[in-house]
Amino acid sequence: MPEQNENQSGLKVPEGSPSGLGAFLDRQLDAGRIKFWRTLFFLILLAVALLNLLIKSHHPHFGVDRYPFFWPVFGLVIGGVMVVLVKKIIQPVIKKPEDFYGDL
Amino acid sequence: MTSNFYHPSLAFLMLAAVLPFLPGNRRWKFLLLIPPLAAIYAAFFNQAGAHLTLNWLGQSLELAKVDALSSIFCQVFAVMSLAGILYSLHVNDKGQHIAALLYVAGGFGCVLAGDFLTLFAFWELMSLGSTFLVMLNRTRESVLASFRYFMYHTVGGLFLLAGILLRYKHTGSFAVGPILHASANPYDWLILIGFCVNAAVVPLHAWLPDAYPRGTVTGSVFMCAYTTKTAVYVLARVFPAWEILAIAGTVMAVYGVLYASMENNARRILSYHIVSQVGYMVAGIGVGTAMTINGATAHAYAHILYKGLLFMGAGAVLYSAGTQRLDELGGLAARLPWVMVCYMVAALSISGMPLFNGFISKNMTIQGAAAAHQTFVALGLEIAAVGTFISVGLKLPYFAFWGGKATDWKRDLKPVPVNMYCGMGLLSVLCVLQGVFPGILYRFLPHQEAVGAFVPWQSWNVLQALMLLGFSGLAFYLTRGILTPHKALNLDFDWFYRLIGKILYHLISRPAAFVDNIWTNVWNWAGLGSLMGTARGTVFFDRRIIDGIVDGSAYGVKGAGFLGALLQNGKLQSYLGLMTILALGVFAYFWY
Repeated sequence: MPEQNENQSGLKVPEGSPSGLGAFLDRQLDAGRIKFWRTLFFLILLAVALLNLLIKSHHPHFGVDRYPFFWPVFGLVIGGVMVVLVKKIIQPVIKKPEDFYGDL
Repeated sequence: MTSNFYHPSLAFLMLAAVLPFLPGNRRWKFLLLIPPLAAIYAAFFNQAGAHLTLNWLGQSLELAKVDALSSIFCQVFAVMSLAGILYSLHVNDKGQHIAALLYVAGGFGCVLAGDFLTLFAFWELMSLGSTFLVMLNRTRESVLASFRYFMYHTVGGLFLLAGILLRYKHTGSFAVGPILHASANPYDWLILIGFCVNAAVVPLHAWLPDAYPRGTVTGSVFMCAYTTKTAVYVLARVFPAWEILAIAGTVMAVYGVLYASMENNARRILSYHIVSQVGYMVAGIGVGTAMTINGATAHAYAHILYKGLLFMGAGAVLYSAGTQRLDELGGLAARLPWVMVCYMVAALSISGMPLFNGFISKNMTIQGAAAAHQTFVALGLEIAAVGTFISVGLKLPYFAFWGGKATDWKRDLKPVPVNMYCGMGLLSVLCVLQGVFPGILYRFLPHQEAVGAFVPWQSWNVLQALMLLGFSGLAFYLTRGILTPHKALNLDFDWFYRLIGKILYHLISRPAAFVDNIWTNVWNWAGLGSLMGTARGTVFFDRRIIDGIVDGSAYGVKGAGFLGALLQNGKLQSYLGLMTILALGVFAYFWY
């Protein structure tokens, strides 16, 4: 636990009483709370994807986006491919030590 | 000057001029709030039309031209200046405030300029002010970056100046107005290059992620708002519907996102996202329909607010924790909860989450591009939206505030000043207000006839945004291990800039050194000999003639002094005697 904690206005707060929001955020780091938030996240994703069966695009931009689940698949695939492409293929090629130019 | 016009730069320039002379009791800080408030007043109450026309060297210069497009940019510049100055009120260094004031004054000047000469003058003022906002961070790294920044912008400015002068020679006019792509001349392309340097169009963009992460905590908040958005404004004003800009903008949007995904430095991630987000605006201008010009303008407004807020949040972390490297951060959410909340408001805004202002501006450009059958532009911008949410909406805050670590109670954090929270609070409120009530932004857009073409709050738009962002979030959740940032420098186009700089340096310095060597030899042989001869002559003259005269007069003064000392012996009777002799002498002279 902290010896002393500083709230958002910079005032010193005695031990064990971090500001309301800080204490709340700290509690969310328990394994149980993390599991709760993760479950909530997955449920929201499911709900959003299922809503796509009811609400559809009237003006599809690319043609294929008239079908349900296009945008969930687009977000997941583009996001995943982008991360792997950037971190596994591009960065190893262009990565240099931090002080490569001698500026630091 | 008309009665209903106030130039918003005026108070900024005046305060910058008097600030060095104000006493050091820090009461001057309250004066800093006056120019932004006056500018906000001006943004709403200045009448449309040309103002402050003056004749100079046979030219008619229009210092201010107010219309719908310049008004909305003035408005957001004014609001941002208030937030930025609130955020920087704790800074005691007058130099930083003066630099910021000059820089912001330059921004207003560019947006209001009715002719290219006025535009160029304020353009260079911005370049100067922002250089000092980087330099005054006072580290070796920042000073070096500021020199690179200044050189780069000077070169960009010279392109612009060359274009302006050649254009004047050809057309006889400095007036700022739309140039048609079909009838463009080479000098118009020079102007375009000058603008593109400041708009950070890839591959001319690398100055931005080089300089902005190295600016002062408060200086970068100003810089992220004005330079690129002033360039967006002039592009919208002069080069609407240039298709090359649609392509360039799409490339920028994706390119910035890719680099942001690799970066470890928080403010460099945000800098790459400026490149990306300005890409949306440049693409909108390039597509050039009323809807996409509206989209670009709306996005510039929203972007200034949320990007300022992002830099404020990342700056607050840097100020408090002393580092902006993500691998050194984490476990701070409970320590800096309100910084995290404000940052997340901005992060959700930039990502285009419903309820936040990116949602109502970004999609206007994308749908406008799709409506204009620019399918690849729309697709590129959607891809960039996914990357935006992953890198700046999730990666940056996750590794800065959480990082899978327990709360870091041990880390020494400098308390974040209240004024910084005020600046962040103001922008947070505005981001949400615009997101919930798009009308407060849309009513100022330049093409009012096209505003109805895009209604953000429709069930499909909301669902599409939630699906896109939700499943991008899932992609982040699954790949967060790969995304974990590490210390590294990612090569960018500035490698080429430095190479060109080095080549030019050698091209100039080598021949110069060669000529210098020859000149030294010639000098040793011919110049030095004659110089020695002249020197001997002057020595002779000095010793024999000058010294003779000076010595002679010195001996004279010495003798007179000796006689005076003899006579002035302090005895009253001697003085009376001398006076009598003198009086007799005078009497005898007149008598005789």
